[in-house]
Amino acid sequence: MTEDTDTTDAEEPTEDVAADGGPAGEASGTPSELRSDGGEETATDGAGPGIVPPDDETPAWSERKQRSQGLSRLTYEYFERARREDQDLRQESSYVERDVLGFPAWPHEMIRNLAITSFFVGMIILLSATLPPHIGPPANSGSTPAIILPDWYLYWSFGLLKLAPLNPELSLLGGQKLMADRTFGVLANLVVVGAVAIVPFLNKGAARRPVEQPFWAGVGFGGVVFAFTISAYSVNNLIPMEPTLQFDLAFLLPVLAACIAYSVLKSMREGYMFDLNRRYYRLRPPK
Amino acid sequence: MADEFAKGFGIFVTAMLGWMILGGWYNTPDFETQLSAPNPEQAELYGQIAIALKDALFWFGVLGALTFWVVIPAIEEARTALGE
Repeated sequence: MTEDTDTTDAEEPTEDVAADGGPAGEASGTPSELRSDGGEETATDGAGPGIVPPDDETPAWSERKQRSQGLSRLTYEYFERARREDQDLRQESSYVERDVLGFPAWPHEMIRNLAITSFFVGMIILLSATLPPHIGPPANSGSTPAIILPDWYLYWSFGLLKLAPLNPELSLLGGQKLMADRTFGVLANLVVVGAVAIVPFLNKGAARRPVEQPFWAGVGFGGVVFAFTISAYSVNNLIPMEPTLQFDLAFLLPVLAACIAYSVLKSMREGYMFDLNRRYYRLRPPK
Repeated sequence: MADEFAKGFGIFVTAMLGWMILGGWYNTPDFETQLSAPNPEQAELYGQIAIALKDALFWFGVLGALTFWVVIPAIEEARTALGE
């Protein structure tokens, strides 16, 4: 720790004691010079002065030490060692104290990533060795298949090309359609893609979970259901259902699903302590 | 509770992976019928072992998951309810 960080840190905790009530009560018993010295004293959770402790429900360090058996002990020892290494790194370097608690990428993150990578590579090798894929006869380029479909992930776009019943016959044009059905389908693709592209500008994604913004969660759920229903409509010649009924369901089910999702999330929000969670995740603004 | 879920999930996934592989070997004659064809009539010794192992894995996955997800939590609930 350099001399400047000590002097800058020295003034800050006194403001905090005045500002928020929580830490002031705890710090009243400790000597003032111990609390004002932010450079030397590292908090027990490895955080410097940058992180607000969530609330009184945070377990004390002695309580964490009571996790003394099995997986909790292993986890405790792992994080304790990581915290210790992090603390040593901070103390021996002259780097300015960070605001965000974190662990070094090596080995902590890399070990986990290597474990995940090894698992998936092993799974790929296992499946490709035990279940080699079926290789059918070569395709006959001389004959047209009976059913022509895009890949499954493009069914939604294929379904939007089949919106001919929505193309209005304008009486102004004497019952003529303004554009061909296929042009209408292409424009419908543009409309849907445009709607998806606009959503991030309308909602910045401040919610961490759907109950915090039930309306937007309902919009998203309705969009997901619409992706499924319009995909199902694109293959309506394979589905034993009246095509007009399926066409109506393709647009009614998403609205119904959005309403249900909204009402369920809205009612869940009544008993949901998201104020508490918001306080848990709130970080103090940077200096 | 989370541990019980992880145990049941691990049993279910591992056993069903083995069941799927053995089903791919012995119960998948062509592309249309996958994993659901009847067992081959005349199987050699390894084939008979594998078919028996396939059934064992299937029921181990189902019953193991049920045990850890339903039976043990129910016993725990009943024990706490009786203890009160």
